[in-house]
Amino acid sequence: MNLRLLGLPAVALALVAGVLGIQLAHGGGSFEPTRTADPCAARQVDSVSAGIDGLTERLVLLGIDGAACRLHLSREALTLELAEPEPPTDAELAALRQGLLDAVRRMKADGTLPPASALVREALDAIELNGLLKAAILALPDAVVDAALKTDDVLTRTIDDLDLRDLLTNLEDPDDLARQIEPVLTRAVQDSLTERLRSLL
Amino acid sequence: MRRAVAPLLAITVALVLADSAVVTLALPDILQHLNTDVDQVAWVLIAFNIVLGVAAVPAALLFGRTQPRIFTAVGIAVFALASAWCALAGSIDVLIAARCIQALGGALALVGCLELLVAAQGDRRGLAVWVSAGVIGTATGPVMGGLLTEAISWQAIFVVQVPFAALAVPAALAVRADPEPAADRHRPAVRPNLTLALLSAALTAALFLLVLLVVEGWRHSPATAAVTVSVVAVAALAARPLARVLRSLPGAEVAAGCLLIAGGLAGLGLLPSANLAWTIAPQALVGLGLGLTVDHLTAQAMEMRLPRAKHAGWTIAARHVGVVLGLAVLTPVFTADLRDAQEPAQEAITSLVLDAPLKAADKIALAQSLGDALVGQEGRVPDLHQAFVEANFAPEDRTAAARLERDLDLQLERAATQAFQASFLIGAGFALAALLTVVVPRRRRAP
Repeated sequence: MNLRLLGLPAVALALVAGVLGIQLAHGGGSFEPTRTADPCAARQVDSVSAGIDGLTERLVLLGIDGAACRLHLSREALTLELAEPEPPTDAELAALRQGLLDAVRRMKADGTLPPASALVREALDAIELNGLLKAAILALPDAVVDAALKTDDVLTRTIDDLDLRDLLTNLEDPDDLARQIEPVLTRAVQDSLTERLRSLL
Repeated sequence: MRRAVAPLLAITVALVLADSAVVTLALPDILQHLNTDVDQVAWVLIAFNIVLGVAAVPAALLFGRTQPRIFTAVGIAVFALASAWCALAGSIDVLIAARCIQALGGALALVGCLELLVAAQGDRRGLAVWVSAGVIGTATGPVMGGLLTEAISWQAIFVVQVPFAALAVPAALAVRADPEPAADRHRPAVRPNLTLALLSAALTAALFLLVLLVVEGWRHSPATAAVTVSVVAVAALAARPLARVLRSLPGAEVAAGCLLIAGGLAGLGLLPSANLAWTIAPQALVGLGLGLTVDHLTAQAMEMRLPRAKHAGWTIAARHVGVVLGLAVLTPVFTADLRDAQEPAQEAITSLVLDAPLKAADKIALAQSLGDALVGQEGRVPDLHQAFVEANFAPEDRTAAARLERDLDLQLERAATQAFQASFLIGAGFALAALLTVVVPRRRRAP
């Protein structure tokens, strides 16, 4: 009698417990999208590109982290926010600028910021400059270039002067982006050199 | 003709009950072809079940007044014509209207076929054939619908029903049966009908949601989904031998069935990955539960109760009201969960793209294409492959890009699976509620 009454429910219970147990043991219930990381925690960033492209990418990745941390967002939420067609808010732009400046300081502190001599050849290739002047600069020993030009100083000046609002609206066109950054970068190099000369004199 | 009568009537019963869920696997195709959204396309299922549920008892009353064969033939003919209209529908509104008419004809056909099967084969055998045809139709409907959609088109689901139904019209007219007196001799069996309604709501979750998850969430073809959900039908057939081995009491079988359906649905809500193999065991539990419960409960609700047609009407109404209850509760839950899943999915995708070992310019171009893909498929799980095709990666970057595409697809699968979780667990709740109706002791009548 008991077997006829309880046998099948007991088998059913055992089958259900077995299936659910196996599923939970294999991560059932936690198969969900990867959670975003805390942007305020230090993150190791890498780039497959070398030279200026690699430096820019690492700076931007660290800069977004810093900005997201200031805005109490995840870096992914901030990136999606900045990708919206609506223009970025003043608070977002200010946070982004500060995030980029923090990134320069962090890279200088951990020794991942390359010296100016490592970037000068690539920079000269990319900009319009008198051939003789280019040859003269290239002839300078690395130690002289590094003594005259500090990468962090040039980057800080560039970030301070960049129109981030315009930059974000032109992300789709790499040529436009380069046209926008080039004069600001050139001016930053000039200002940095002038400042250096002034301090020497 | 005489030999073909019972099989044709049984096929009609199976077709009408299969229609309750036959379009489940076709919904994604209908959604695209008729340019509608998930909320609206669910009405292709809901409308049929509401009308069938509401019309079943009034249809049964008609059979007490005239020759059953007349109304049965009219019902089957209306069902056939409406099926043809469904196949020709050019808009979602027309399809929903045609489905309502189809259900109206289906209600007459279902009740009428019971009367004619009993007249042709005797009380016990006629009822057994009617119940079995219904279980087979319910269990195999989604599978047949999926295979037809994949092999031909969603319209084919309706087209193939027409010749079977057309042949059943003369078959119905060939059976002589006297009208059954309409006077109520027995009250409707509340408890088995309530259990049936709650189990139907739970089974809707199992079939409707699983199919949507497999096709829309995990992007498998309708044929793959059809083969996947056929586990339910196969397991349902295996239930009876299992019960026979244990020589269980009918009440114990129904309780065990409810427990199995609840456990299976909980298993579908706790999937560890998007691998189809993980759905097999939970589906087998649901199928075993289906096989142990539906025919028992239907027989309990109708056996020895007169007028038979009216009690059949109550049973049909209970099942289809249950389906509607399931759809009405689950559709808003999973569509809202699907919308809520977009944000974590987009953030996970953004994270992977930002950290991908690709050139910055390639990442920006890919991000724009991905953004277009996400916007273009608002409310549905997007297909990201086209974005990778458009990005046109350099040969040395293609391996990294292919790995990134796989990782992004996995994030979408994770988000879709999570979005269906609550709905499956609510379905399990329906089955547990059904279990309560079985195990709560009856009130003893005062002597």
